[in-house]
Amino acid sequence: MISFAKVDLALWGQDLNRDLGRVGCLGLRKLTNQEKGAFMRKTVWIVMLCVSLVLGFSAGAFAAKTLEIGALYPISGSLALLGEESWRGAEIARMQRNKAGGVAGMEVIFVQGDANTPATSRSEAERLIEQKGVKGILGTYSSSRCMVASEVAGRKGIPYFELGAIANDITTRGYKTMWRINPTAAHFSVAQVEFIIDWLAPKLGKKPSDIKVSVAHEDSDYGSSVAASFSELAKKKGLQVVSVEPYAANSSDLSSVIFRLRKAEPDIVVAVSYAQDAILLSRQAIELKLNVPFIGTGGGHSLQSFADALGKNAEGVLNVDFTQYEVNTAFTPGLTNFLGLYKETFKANPRSGHSLANYMGANVVFDILQKTGGSLDPKAVQKAAMAMDVKVGSTATGWGVKFDENGQNIRVTPQVTQWRDGKLVTVFPKGAAVMEPILIK
Amino acid sequence: MDLYIQVLVSGLLLGGVYALISIGLNLIFGVVRIINFAHGEMVMLSMYLTFWLHHLYGMDPYLAAIVVLPVMFLFGVAFQRVVVQPILTTSATMKIFTTVGVSLLLQNLVLIFWKGDFRTVQTSYSMSAFEVFEIIVSIPRFVAFVAALLSIIILYAFLKFTFAGKALRAIVEDNAVARLMGVNVERHYLLAFGLGCAFSGLGGVLLMPFNAVYPTVGVTYTLLAFVVVVLGGLGSMSGTFLAGLFIGVVEAFGGTFVSPALKEAIYFGIFILVLLVRPQGLFGMGRGTEEVGLK
Repeated sequence: MISFAKVDLALWGQDLNRDLGRVGCLGLRKLTNQEKGAFMRKTVWIVMLCVSLVLGFSAGAFAAKTLEIGALYPISGSLALLGEESWRGAEIARMQRNKAGGVAGMEVIFVQGDANTPATSRSEAERLIEQKGVKGILGTYSSSRCMVASEVAGRKGIPYFELGAIANDITTRGYKTMWRINPTAAHFSVAQVEFIIDWLAPKLGKKPSDIKVSVAHEDSDYGSSVAASFSELAKKKGLQVVSVEPYAANSSDLSSVIFRLRKAEPDIVVAVSYAQDAILLSRQAIELKLNVPFIGTGGGHSLQSFADALGKNAEGVLNVDFTQYEVNTAFTPGLTNFLGLYKETFKANPRSGHSLANYMGANVVFDILQKTGGSLDPKAVQKAAMAMDVKVGSTATGWGVKFDENGQNIRVTPQVTQWRDGKLVTVFPKGAAVMEPILIK
Repeated sequence: MDLYIQVLVSGLLLGGVYALISIGLNLIFGVVRIINFAHGEMVMLSMYLTFWLHHLYGMDPYLAAIVVLPVMFLFGVAFQRVVVQPILTTSATMKIFTTVGVSLLLQNLVLIFWKGDFRTVQTSYSMSAFEVFEIIVSIPRFVAFVAALLSIIILYAFLKFTFAGKALRAIVEDNAVARLMGVNVERHYLLAFGLGCAFSGLGGVLLMPFNAVYPTVGVTYTLLAFVVVVLGGLGSMSGTFLAGLFIGVVEAFGGTFVSPALKEAIYFGIFILVLLVRPQGLFGMGRGTEEVGLK
């Protein structure tokens, strides 16, 4: 690179001299447009050359001490919003870690991939591993994208750290190199069922066995997996699941779902939605007078744009999710610090709790790699990960860290939140809650 | 029984919106004979335009039509002149690649500049509805339905009674003969594209009070508009309107009584059936139009 540059620079230098000479000879004559153009082009080339030289040097200087990890998120396409939000959390963890001296003395670098669709997610995982040579990947936010990408990594024996996708079967496929730090769909179901039995049933003055629940879910991996695990657990705990309504997340009309829900007459609707369908479902529920409380399952119901779209009608909508920002901070050390860093870096408030979960998760990944001395060798990672033992209530999300034999973190509990005055406030369980939940139909 | 009527009403209202989005495509499709895969993105751009006018200048979404329609007309004219004109004589695959490319380009430009956020407008009528004999009718959807009906009548009158309209119809029927009769075909292409985009603009404006806009919102509409146009028949405005209503009703009934997850499968199934049995569409203009631009 550098030797090339020298030769080229010399050549351009000669050209430039010649041009200058010519201009000089001609004395006071104004430059023609052609000459100006040629002059400009050369100047641009030289500037570009200088920039590339500087970049080349700087990359060279740190080359021996970097730790490259693939960061695979949907950053374009329909899931770009929360995909990017998730990446922001991991990015803050990375910057913070590098400022504090990196992982095992190495500067952490993210090699970015775009899991735009499940199909590109596969090719991006292959590109990161084959062409970019990364030895580990973190991501992914979307369950369907994680499923394919982690399969690529799993077959090649490359550690894959999931920080946001919740479909149950991600960690039950038998890949020894798969690790998930965030809660699964099953954890979400536990939280929802507990909430319905411990809070909603007494509030309605009914026995849990008289409570009727409907489930409305988008029909990709995320929605289907959450809905299935909820229905199973709810039935086991004696709740009546009166209807399950799958729908496509990109629908422009969900009135048919609302009609089916009206017919089923549930006491509460458990919704599993992405962003636009969560908005549409609630808007049409109001239009078509479906007067039933909704409890979302992460995804769209936790978004600020959900509250914006519904205005005062968002009041009282419940949601089970990763840890949000209106939470008892005694339970979540480091959260305030994270918020400060977020605002400083991105000049805005977080759009959802996804960044926080990814911040916490990326930190766990860095802690594991700190123990392996920066090695991403699957055996070393396995040993370090299984040795992790962090108590609940000692991270920014309030989660602890302890992996089971499938690589799933078991010290995680999602919390029930509720939209109150345009803010998503934690209301359940009591330890993390900052407000009492209210019932609005 | 009530439920059936309620579902029918919801289906018809939905169909009105579908028809509105599809009219523009039919015009472009029929006249210029190009499969414009960026059609949904035109709707998306108009939705964003409506959103920004509301967000930045407090303009009522419906009032924003005054700005959005002319802007989209000019956008369409420019699109035809810059992108479509140079590739008109190339193969169908080339046209598909080009318009798909434009559609991806627009989606990603919007993603870069306006981010992936789901944007909505808040108006007093956003979630309002009125009731007739206990049947609930959503006001913004009703407005969209009426506007679709009116704009189709206006477009029909334009095509029927004005010289430019007649020329457009002549081009739809037989491009070469129209040219021989002295119609300036290229200029009418510009007009058709401009009008087509203005109609998607109107669609975008009317969708905004009840739908969120985000970079990939157009993808669903592109496919849907194709189904409606092909079903209704190329070049037939009333066909598009009826086909739109039909798809809306099928979607509502299929969604409510079969499964919401299957509603798209149902109307795409119908689409394939129509292509097999009556390729020129239910109200198509007969022989020749079944080629749907694949020349």
